This record gives sequence, structure tokens and C-alpha cells, in this order.
Amino acid sequence: MATPADPLSRRRSLGLLLGGAPSLLLGGCALNAHSEAVGAATQPLNERIEALLQGKGKLPEFRPRQVDPAALLINSFNGIPEISPGSYRLAVTGLVSRPLNLDLAALAALPQHQCVIRHVCVEGWSAIVAWSGPRLADVVALAGFSPLAGYVFIESADQYYESWDLASALHPQTLLATHMNGAPLPAANGAPVRLATPIKLGYKLSKWVTGLKLMASLGDRRGYWEDQGYEWFAGL
Amino acid sequence: MIATSAAPVRGPTRPSPLWTRAFHGFNLLLLLLMASSGLEIYNANPVFGGREGATVPELFTLGGWLAGGRDWHFGVMGLYAANLGVWIGLLIRQRHQRLAAMGDLGTLRVSSSTPKRRLAAHRVVYTLMLIVLGFSLITGMAMYKPAQLWWLVGLFSFAEAAGHDSWQVLRVCHLATIPLIALLLGAHVVLSWRVGGLRLWRSMFV
Repeated sequence: MATPADPLSRRRSLGLLLGGAPSLLLGGCALNAHSEAVGAATQPLNERIEALLQGKGKLPEFRPRQVDPAALLINSFNGIPEISPGSYRLAVTGLVSRPLNLDLAALAALPQHQCVIRHVCVEGWSAIVAWSGPRLADVVALAGFSPLAGYVFIESADQYYESWDLASALHPQTLLATHMNGAPLPAANGAPVRLATPIKLGYKLSKWVTGLKLMASLGDRRGYWEDQGYEWFAGL
Repeated sequence: MIATSAAPVRGPTRPSPLWTRAFHGFNLLLLLLMASSGLEIYNANPVFGGREGATVPELFTLGGWLAGGRDWHFGVMGLYAANLGVWIGLLIRQRHQRLAAMGDLGTLRVSSSTPKRRLAAHRVVYTLMLIVLGFSLITGMAMYKPAQLWWLVGLFSFAEAAGHDSWQVLRVCHLATIPLIALLLGAHVVLSWRVGGLRLWRSMFV
């Protein structure tokens, strides 16, 4: 109960409330400027924990009947590039003993795998999709990558770029998908070749992939969205 | 410690134990950061309505844009979880004094003494707040690492037969902790005022 002998108490507490609310709001606006600093201070630890949490084995998948094509939204930072299947080549370069220039027939000749997984967008939505194509691990193994390689830089036809840690790239469910939900990949979803995996957020899953470069360290260009403030590891 | 009678108590304020004040104040601060940055993330793709859905006014958000909101949300989550976890652990050890128990529900049902009923109601309210905050941690973890914590996501697949994907159920559950906590916070403020007045508030914040 309020103490009746102390008439200031109620007034003072009201004043505190009224004075406190705007300063919180003002503080909120000022805090926006510190977002990057908070991220920079905490992401290295978060990313270490994410990498530790991520196993090397296969994760459980969904049933094909759980696929929901309508849930998969289209995101692109620079439109949809048109790539003719005949002239398409995937360049595998960097720390490899045999630099490759693979056409679609060469990718189709590799063992084909299907993953029915949840595609999770950083925006918050998700969609269960069935991706199929060769494993990224099989493609880089074909090029014979050096033990010095720790990262893969991924280039796309629309100038999108990404970089991954090698362990995530070699994960058995990380695919260079050429098919989606049993049909050839549509142009808007990254035809003819895109990345697909259950272990990374959607912005790591480059569409229209044209180049894989194995690197010993991360460069200044870590990814289109990462360079604007998104987390680099982005594990799920 | 807590004035149970409606009569004003004289004498100097006895502050709550330091650990109670520290966990309480820190939790309030971190909760404000987590809720406002969470609403920023919400605005990138509203849970209700998707890209065409209504967004939360910028006034209540923190981060400025999606990446800024995520910086705060995932930057603070570790501290928030550690603070809440240790606090709840300590409270459970001292449950007979602080957390609500069956006796409080009995008091609410049968007692005719208003102060006793208020005290019991207040204990129930703040105990529920801790449960809701714990639930926000569980649903948040499931959405932060849905692939690695697939078994946790699986707990939320109960509505799949009705056509509701576990992901959407998780998003709704995680978001629902904000209005729930806001309601309970209102009750917490009113009841703590009725139970202990300014003396109780000062004992928690000063």
C-alpha cells in the first residue's frame, strides 16, 4: 500500500515513470548506432559455438509429402540472370591440384543426392524443399583440394558472392542443386546450379553459382550480405 | 521481508538481498533489449501476414534494420539466458520462501483475507513470468538452431495434422511471450504496489 504519510511517494513514482519512458525511447534510438559494435563483440563467440554444435554427419530430413512449394519465396539482390545451359561452366579454382571447368553433363555424371530439408531465411520465414544434385564435397574432391584450404569462396552469375568454412561445404547434405522438388531448377530459384544445405541460413545459399575458389583464409569480401552486417557463419 | 499487511510499515527500508536485486534489475534491462530487438526481427517478415503483414512501430524496435536487430538479439541472448537460468536455479533452491507453490493457489481459493490473497496472487504472477521467460528461451533456441536442435523443433509439430508447420507454431509461440510478459508485467507492477507499496519497489531497485 502507498504510505499516506508520504504524499511525495506517489507523485515521485509517477514522475519517475513519466520521465523514464521517453528516456528509454531516446536511448533506443541512440542504441541503434551501437548494433554493429554489439555484433562484432559477440559474433566470434557465437560462431565458435555454432561450429562446435554442427556435426559432420547427416541431419534428419523431412518426408517428401511435407514439401510446400508455395512457402518458398524468391529473394534476389540483382534480378534474375539468364544462363543458357549449353554455355554454362562451373569453375573450380584456388588451392586445387586440378582446376576444373565443369559443364552440366559433368555435374550430372557425379553421384546424385536428394535432400528434403527446411530452407530458413534470415527474414524469419522457412519452407520445406526437396533439392537434388551432386554433393559440393564430390565436386571439390574432383579438383583435389589442398590441405591448406580452409574456406570456399562462391561466385554467382549475378555478382552475388559468398564464403563458407570448408567443414560446412563438405557436409554430406551440402549440394550443388540442379533440381528442386523433382523438376529442373527454375531460373528464379538459381538455375542451372545453386547451393542447398540444411545447415546454413538462406543468404549463404548462393543461386546461379559459377565459381568455387578454395582459399586458405577469408578475404575482405566475405559475402554480399555479410559485408553489410549479417553474421558470416550463419549456421542452423 | 515483504509487508503482508495493508498497514504502512515504519522504519528504514530493508533492501532485498543483493543477488535478488541484481538478477531482477539485469533481467529487466536484458528483457527490454531482447523484446525490442526481437520486434525488429519480426518486422523483416511479420509472423502474421508475411511480407504484406502489419509491422511493429519503429518506436518499439531496436537495431534499425534486420542485421542490427539480430546483432542485439543474438548478442544479448547469452547474458539473458545465463542471468535467467542462474536466477531460476537459485530461486528453486529457496522455493519455500519465494516462488509460488500449491499453497498460494489454495490461499487464492479459500482465504478471505485480502492482503493474503494479494500476496499469493503476486507470487503466482511473478512465478508465471519466470515460466514464460523460460519458454521464450526454449522457443528461441529451437528457431536459432532448427537443424541441430531438430528434436526441440519436433516438440512443436503437434499442429501439423491441422496444417500448421512446426516452424510457424514456433514463431507464434516465441512472439506470444511478448504480449504474455507485458500482461503479467502489468499485474506484477500493480500487485507489488498493493502488497508493499513504494517500500517494496525501493527494496528491489535501490
